[in-house]
Amino acid sequence: MALPISYHWRNLFVRKTTTLLTVLVIAAVVGVFAWMLGFAASLDRSLSQARDETKLLVLKRGATAETNSALPVDEYNNLNQLDDIARDPTTNEPLLSPEMMVQISRPRVRDGGKTWGNIALRGVTEAAFKVHRTVQPTGRVFSAGAQEVIVGVAAAQQFSGLNIGDTLELGYGNNRHYTVVGYFTADKGPAESEVWGYLPSLMNAYNRTMYSSASLRLKGGADPKKVIELIEGPKIQLSAQTEAQYWQTQSASINTYLRITKVLVAVMCLAAIFSIANTMFSMVAGRTREIAMLRTIGFSRGQILSGFVLESVFLSILGGLLGCVGCIAWLYVMGNTKDMFGSSTFTTLAFEIHLTPTNLTCALGSVIVVGVIGAWIPAMRASRVAVVTALREP
Amino acid sequence: MGAVEIELKDVRKVYYKDRIEIPVLEGLNLTVSAGEFVVLMGPSGSGKSTLLHLIGGLDSPTSGSVRVGDAQLERMTERELTSWRSRHVGFIFQMYHLVPVLTAAQNIELPLLLFRMSAAERRQRVKTALGVVGLSDRMDHRPNQLSGGQEQRVAIARAIVTDPRLILADEPTGDLDAKTSEEILELLNVLNTEFGKTILLVTHDPRAAAHGQRQLHLDKGAFYRDEAVPPRTAAVAASR
Repeated sequence: MALPISYHWRNLFVRKTTTLLTVLVIAAVVGVFAWMLGFAASLDRSLSQARDETKLLVLKRGATAETNSALPVDEYNNLNQLDDIARDPTTNEPLLSPEMMVQISRPRVRDGGKTWGNIALRGVTEAAFKVHRTVQPTGRVFSAGAQEVIVGVAAAQQFSGLNIGDTLELGYGNNRHYTVVGYFTADKGPAESEVWGYLPSLMNAYNRTMYSSASLRLKGGADPKKVIELIEGPKIQLSAQTEAQYWQTQSASINTYLRITKVLVAVMCLAAIFSIANTMFSMVAGRTREIAMLRTIGFSRGQILSGFVLESVFLSILGGLLGCVGCIAWLYVMGNTKDMFGSSTFTTLAFEIHLTPTNLTCALGSVIVVGVIGAWIPAMRASRVAVVTALREP
Repeated sequence: MGAVEIELKDVRKVYYKDRIEIPVLEGLNLTVSAGEFVVLMGPSGSGKSTLLHLIGGLDSPTSGSVRVGDAQLERMTERELTSWRSRHVGFIFQMYHLVPVLTAAQNIELPLLLFRMSAAERRQRVKTALGVVGLSDRMDHRPNQLSGGQEQRVAIARAIVTDPRLILADEPTGDLDAKTSEEILELLNVLNTEFGKTILLVTHDPRAAAHGQRQLHLDKGAFYRDEAVPPRTAAVAASR
């Protein structure tokens, strides 16, 4: 049997300041790590709603995003030649949605409007609701003849002035007053960060004669690659990609952000390892005679080593729990909504960060590993204490 | 006296400092019978503690053999020695070496954690050991809540809780006042006479030495006197 748990637990509080500082360092690591895991999972969840392989996004050849694409109406009409576009079962119309996208700027809710962010304003027709199946209006939809818009729920949460009844100054010169008449969801996908209005009305407001893009839904069994080849071929001469490919490109800056955060977490983990090692070294140094006594009465080197590692694991769990609680409190107090800037759309992707039990368990598990690594060398030193010499120490 | 408990044959111990050989024990021969109370005396640096460490399996001789009971210590691995110590030897130190974060009962229980034993049996043994040292009412006290004498009593209880045949005490009264020292030595006498423990006591103090049955005088790594303590002296010491 190993040393009693109470022995290790109480020893943590013998050097209160050192223990507290170490716990705080660990808490900071776990807090950031848990936040990053929650962020990555939420982002992934959001983008996973935009990985429909049967939906194609068509842009002007050479364009990289909807914001820099201009699709003349006659070129758009060429898409009707495609055989592999799915059709509406009731009207037999091709599921092809012409769309226009511009950015509008709105103040952020989280800082009381001190900073502003860009949101995508999308002009659509009724076809859009059939092509983008995840988009579900939760109230009234804009009327064809009226200056009305509906707002994605994520955009409504993150930006002010996007609630039902609010008026938006839109159009070229911001001289058209559009009223928010409803919200829509999109299974937490990127569309939830957008504002949608009636395409002809918005094209008129922005003096546009060309669409930005077209979205189309493929027939069941159609090969997206072949359809893309046709769209990019000599007859149509546009560019196309699946929704998944498009969002993979658009989230590149977000992935860079995530990579930087991972590096930061790794650096913090190293700092935590050093902090734990430092604490454990001082614990070992202060208990050399005690270790010698334990070895004298029959405790083995392995038991001494595992005992010190256990103390470090306790430290890690304490810090880890504090970090998790801190992260949850941070998201609660500061808000769990997050917006990320798209790399070429110049609009934001808004989503909510939710910490799942898996995220928290993963963060805690990782910091326990950090604790074991940090404690290993000091624990080895403890297990190798020269018993006879230590017993003679004054 | 019983069978031979400790037998040292031509034991030599050398330390090295900066590659310079420092002899500590020079060809020692010793026989201690089971149930004997032997006092090791000598000036500082004479090798008393080193001898105690060799007999307790904490250190190994440079040459020669050390037998304690059936165990030939110089032939045992470190792991075997660790296990052997836990079963057969009780150690008492001058500085008590109690764990400050544990209560008296928990300190005493430590050696029992190395045995397959139920918690109830451990508790019972701890109670018995505390009773022997007269500290039944201090079970839940931490070391900093005890006097020096009480701390040493707890250390003695820790040394006897596994019921070892041999008790090695290194200056157990070195840090105590005269009255408390006497009480501790009385306790060692009780362990020897009533519980049959073989005791090896290292001390500088002639009054403490008077409690033993045999005095071994060590100087410069060799015994120069091995004498029985007159029964009268022992009786007086015992009656104090």
